Amino acid sequence: MSTGLASIAYAFPRGRATLAELGAQGRLTSQPDVLARFGFEQVRVAVDESPYALALEAARAALRGVDPESIDLLVYAGTPSAAAFQSPGSDRSRSVLSTLDRFKYSGPRLQSELGLVRATTLGVGELACVSLFGALRVARALVESENLKRVLCVASEFFPEEAGREVIFNCTSDAACAFLVEQGAERNRIVAQAQVTKGYYWDCEELRDEIIASYFPTARRVVEDVLQKAGWAREDVAWVIPHNVSLRSWEVLLGLLRLPSARLYTRNIARNGHTLVGDNFINLADALDSGEVRPGDRLLLFSYGFGGHWSALAMEA
Amino acid sequence: MTPRHSPTLLVTGATGLVGGGALRDLLTLAPDARALALVRTREGGALLGESLGPLGRRVSAVLGVVRLPGLGLELSVRSELRGQITHLLHCAGDICFARPLEQARAVNTAGTGHALELADDLGAPCEFVHVSTAYVAGRAVGRVEEEPSGGAQGFVNAYEQSKHEAEALVRDWGSRFVILRPSSIVCDSRTGAVAQVNAVHRALFLYFSGLVPMLPGDEGAPLDLVPVDWVTRAVARLTLDPASSGRTFHLCAGAAAPTLGALFDVTEEVLRGDPEFLRRGVSRPDVVDLGTYRLFEQSVYELGDPKLVRILRGLSTFVEQLTLPKTFETRGAEGALGEQAPRVLEYWPRMLSHLLSTHWAVARESQEAA
Repeated sequence: MSTGLASIAYAFPRGRATLAELGAQGRLTSQPDVLARFGFEQVRVAVDESPYALALEAARAALRGVDPESIDLLVYAGTPSAAAFQSPGSDRSRSVLSTLDRFKYSGPRLQSELGLVRATTLGVGELACVSLFGALRVARALVESENLKRVLCVASEFFPEEAGREVIFNCTSDAACAFLVEQGAERNRIVAQAQVTKGYYWDCEELRDEIIASYFPTARRVVEDVLQKAGWAREDVAWVIPHNVSLRSWEVLLGLLRLPSARLYTRNIARNGHTLVGDNFINLADALDSGEVRPGDRLLLFSYGFGGHWSALAMEA
Repeated sequence: MTPRHSPTLLVTGATGLVGGGALRDLLTLAPDARALALVRTREGGALLGESLGPLGRRVSAVLGVVRLPGLGLELSVRSELRGQITHLLHCAGDICFARPLEQARAVNTAGTGHALELADDLGAPCEFVHVSTAYVAGRAVGRVEEEPSGGAQGFVNAYEQSKHEAEALVRDWGSRFVILRPSSIVCDSRTGAVAQVNAVHRALFLYFSGLVPMLPGDEGAPLDLVPVDWVTRAVARLTLDPASSGRTFHLCAGAAAPTLGALFDVTEEVLRGDPEFLRRGVSRPDVVDLGTYRLFEQSVYELGDPKLVRILRGLSTFVEQLTLPKTFETRGAEGALGEQAPRVLEYWPRMLSHLLSTHWAVARESQEAA
């Protein structure tokens, strides 16, 4: 049974900030010029949008032309519970966890507002930047085991206003992303998925050096694992669709993987920065729209998520 | 016919790993041998005597420093020793790879020059036995002969260069010399005990700690390692063998050296027996081309993460050797000794078990000191 992505959409907030601006605001830990050498230029910053509002926008776009009643399941990954409805700086954002507001979930609200009357919902959490890989894994498994026809996966994540805009040498953006997983999809067919979780690295602050050190060999292992599951050789990979961490770290990883840099889809690293939820799928959407990725191209998607998750996906465009 | 002298040795570096072991083995092999051990302090001499047990009765300590002309021996001592010393066994050296060249030269090159000057002054029958390193080959690749190293390809660190320059001084000095070149000395082959930590153990500890993502090189390239007990016995035997004179010997695993990949396989297998290592899910470091490694290294330096910078600077003093595969020719040493060095993969697990059972104590101390 072939399962694939019938549509992909995303939403960014209106605000942007350049490296120079972030540096001047004291929201970077590294020097702006160092981050510029690593491929970053600007990030997307929410002004008055909420994570939920962007999730809704992305989900609507992903469902364009699709009968809402045909959706069997909605998988939501991203900002937990009621915090999803707060815009940056909202007074309420500090109090919601102590009231019934905490049970205001994004998934059910999306189901209601999108008119997905037949859909059930579930949430996928604690996967950070591989949240949508996790959502896709669940969706694909349920499509194939429960004969679901269509599953909408949505994720939205903002950085807390008081947090900086740099996480371990990567510049971070607010964003939402959604895609429709479809049984029998003719495009963007999922060929294989692989994930490794090393829970030892759960404490990102304490173990940041160990995480940096383990990132590369484990990434190589997961990528090789997914290629093996897909039955592909390295040279079969037409495009590497990345998560938007520093270009330099991708160059190092491609060196480990013995894959040419020319196959890396890089254009969004500078203009979008690194979103917590959907880099690979946002990049895939743009690469498909631009025609750079052509039907049948074999794609490799890889991301790392805090909590010690390495995730890779082999997909046929 | 030249009268046979009972061996009377002057040993530098006798408190060190090779010098101390070689002295013990010399005294054991030659029951009529006596030795003078160059020590910096009287306390050092006393400790050496204690460590040698009954053999220590045949050892006298003399105060001296390799950094000084004539090794800093008092004139009266020099005068007493003239014509009495059969072998000057020069083991002293600075084995720190991170030293600036001038500092490394001060001990390894100038120190050898001082020892040669003394040997000259002591006169016949003094034979100069110089403990060098196989890595005087520097950046050379391929087969390395038991011959003078050219040095044309340059060196990975100041240690290699200063030892190469020291060898040149020895050869220029005359023909009554023996040059002994061990490769990387790792442990006692019988017990696995590590008496002195070097770059190999530090790199292993970083791997165990999950702090080495990659190393440059080729998993199929040989990595030459030798156990200290075999090296010191070989030093003792070749020192006492008159047929060694004028020759250079590689005290190396040679053609039997394991590949980096084979070493990693065994290392991973042993470390995975440690529950703590297993729990942390530490990945085996990737072996990558030098360009990829340099890119990673440059990124860490640019970002300035203090811990990773310190680690990579430590590794940078030697990891380039991993990209310069070489096989040390050992025919001369094997012919003279009648044996090969012990198989690395046979004692390597014992060393790892020792390091694990001692909670890497020696490596931790060395890391902290660094």
